[in-house]
Amino acid sequence: MAKASTPLSLLCLWCFLWPLIPACSKHAADPPVQVLRISQRNEPGNLDPARATLPDDFFIIRALGEGLVSPAPHGGPPRPAAAERWDTSADGLTYTFHLRRNATWSNGEPVTAQDFVSSYRRVLTPATAAPKAALFFLVRGAEDFYRGRLAAFAQVGFRAPDEHTLIVTLARPAAHFLAYAASGPWIPVNPRIVARHGRNWTRPEHHVGNGPFTLAEWRPGQRIVVQKRAGYWDAGAVKVDAIHFLAFDNGDAEDRAYRAGQLDVTMAVPYTKLAGYAAAQPSSLQHSPLHETRYLAFNTTRPPLNDVRVRRALALTLDRSALVNQVLQGGLTVARHYVPPGLGGFTPIARLAEDAAEARRLLNEAGYPGGAGFPVLELTGWTQTTVLEAVQAMWKKQLGLSVRIAVREARVHLAALQQGDYDIGFMTAIPDVADPADLLKDLHSGAPANYPQWRDVEFDRLLTLAGATDAPVERLAFLAAAEARLTTECPVAPLYFNARNYLLQPAVQGWHEDAIWTRDYKQVSLHRP
Amino acid sequence: MFRFVLRRLLEMIPVLWVIVTATFFMIRFVPGGPFTAEKAVTPEVLRNLEAHYGLDRPLSRQYLDYLGNLLHGNLGPSFKYANRTVNEIIADKLPVSLELGLLSLAVALSLGLTLGILAAIRRNTGIDYLCSSVSMTGICVPTFVLGPLLVLVFAIHLGWVNASGWYGPADRVLPCLTLGCVYAAYIARLTRGGMLEVLGQDFIRTARAKGASETRVVLRHALRGGLLPVVSFLGPAIAGILTGSFVIETIFQIPGLGREFVNSAFNRDYTLVLGTVILYAALIVVLNLVVDVVQVWLNPKLKFE
Repeated sequence: MAKASTPLSLLCLWCFLWPLIPACSKHAADPPVQVLRISQRNEPGNLDPARATLPDDFFIIRALGEGLVSPAPHGGPPRPAAAERWDTSADGLTYTFHLRRNATWSNGEPVTAQDFVSSYRRVLTPATAAPKAALFFLVRGAEDFYRGRLAAFAQVGFRAPDEHTLIVTLARPAAHFLAYAASGPWIPVNPRIVARHGRNWTRPEHHVGNGPFTLAEWRPGQRIVVQKRAGYWDAGAVKVDAIHFLAFDNGDAEDRAYRAGQLDVTMAVPYTKLAGYAAAQPSSLQHSPLHETRYLAFNTTRPPLNDVRVRRALALTLDRSALVNQVLQGGLTVARHYVPPGLGGFTPIARLAEDAAEARRLLNEAGYPGGAGFPVLELTGWTQTTVLEAVQAMWKKQLGLSVRIAVREARVHLAALQQGDYDIGFMTAIPDVADPADLLKDLHSGAPANYPQWRDVEFDRLLTLAGATDAPVERLAFLAAAEARLTTECPVAPLYFNARNYLLQPAVQGWHEDAIWTRDYKQVSLHRP
Repeated sequence: MFRFVLRRLLEMIPVLWVIVTATFFMIRFVPGGPFTAEKAVTPEVLRNLEAHYGLDRPLSRQYLDYLGNLLHGNLGPSFKYANRTVNEIIADKLPVSLELGLLSLAVALSLGLTLGILAAIRRNTGIDYLCSSVSMTGICVPTFVLGPLLVLVFAIHLGWVNASGWYGPADRVLPCLTLGCVYAAYIARLTRGGMLEVLGQDFIRTARAKGASETRVVLRHALRGGLLPVVSFLGPAIAGILTGSFVIETIFQIPGLGREFVNSAFNRDYTLVLGTVILYAALIVVLNLVVDVVQVWLNPKLKFE
């Protein structure tokens, strides 16, 4: 066969090499010095404080706007934000917020008390369909207006006597009110911008906020860029010039980007890589406990789970230390009760024992000696299959019970839980505000997130008492008593309190995120070598 | 030919209608909805949200409305992204997927054809074995292994390119190589086979006898016939490259339509699911038509019937 000619050889060479040409034009991996690059694992569906639902949405919303007060980064009472100070009336019913006179919207308009009133009216208007409107129900008339029992918004407890004074009147004294006022949905919107652009007001070209940053770019699936705003009243305190929220779908891609130096803060280290990072880069690996409870919900309407002895037997058998230390990694905390300790000053008064002998006795008493005659129940979840398998093995070993595991896609699982179409479901509880009542109210009879479909007169009574109590200590005592009902009646079996393990470049200083996912970007500075 | 193309395009309409109808009802029967969240919202909020998107009306009514809007080219609002319509999302993401797909296709064709031709004209030599081994390896290594491996070497250890993103030209290299290599491997094997068959035929010997250069013999005379199996493969392959880039888009965090399509199903973003399904279906039908036309053009023995 004839020898290939030179042109053919050159052509072949070209065909192999051309795809590499752009690699020669690699732009600098390091951005300008003061750009903070954060992984954003859930693309926000909405940057409207009234309509956003996920903590991830508020990661960005809190950079773009600020409420009357902000959660303190290290716990404790909320700090002044848009309001520079406030007075509380002697009866604890009226909060008078004094707004900063130098606070402006990013379009230059002054932030007025009337803007706050309009924003809150918008949240409470049913047509807005604000998912977190309940965070306003401490205010007098708010719930009635939201449910249509009160037609005139003037009767709701928001009043703006002048441009810089906002008076909030509560339905009853509540020492925990400021924690609610610090929550994300209380961040105001510019009513004129919202009226002009409707649902499109959150696009970068229209967005107006009162926060330390402005929305510069939103490329869905890629990145959201916010830039430091010179007109912000506290612009001198903001140390980074811009924040890039980079979209990632999974931990592995995020991990590779971090290792390539494209990311400063990741969302979560994949479980399989925790040990490696702990050994190789302990200074980059961060651990922060979360106020998030992972639990098993028992469908209390289905036999045999309608029998409290059966539920207790199942809850008492679980070896949570083994679950946390051997099955899961990442420094999680065992949960022998439902409300994360420290949430809004909460201290539990009762804990679930781990007592297999007692569990066997209860099961025997319920009519299933040694597990005989017990139906095969289904244990469902959407993630953490290893936890479900460990639980399955514990019940088999200690009680002789068989359960079937089914792992479903997240929304299929959630829909089944919400409709009560399940036996035992793995679930998570995340509070919106630092208040134990926010988690406990979900188990109130008929509450939409009452996945166990549990009805307990005593629990409801204790929650009502807590709601009607003015004294903070007494209120927490009622809430703790309500929580104790959960350890005796066992509609849920708490497993562990979640934690976040993530990577942080050593160049980032002052990064802080609290246990309910609130971040304060004002404290963050970058010291790149 | 004009009648052939026209008839095939007309056949597309009932095909698309069946696909739209099946998808519309199937996605509605999947448990969970666009507003299903970890923390269940109150029934009032759910009612308000459903009313806003018209989900409170009877399903048949919604279906007819959807078809009506579709005829006007309106794919509706997205449920997940409150300030965007499906048209906008597709207009935003499709060019990214097309760019990724076309560049990968260019990589696949140039690598694959070169390897295949080299292997064919150097049959049963070291070069042939090398080319065949390379393409066999390419077929065996899946993209989700090759991609991270390339990132490990070129982004993390050598630091030449970024590990992910879709900003500058350098960000195109690794994704397009990863996606291109797999298809290159198939193309190389098909080209080698096709070329070998053609190179043994009489008209090639005639061309050589008439003194045509080897470059001319290979590129002009042999390649046209040798490409036939490649072209039949390319039809479905192009559709696969353009629509099935989900894995690559996830590995490299590329804001393309493949990722959006899969996420829309997870998010129960009904309108976005439908919009992407319609687009993909139309794409596949059209690409198959193009392949048929090209095949007739390449092979004089075929005719438009």
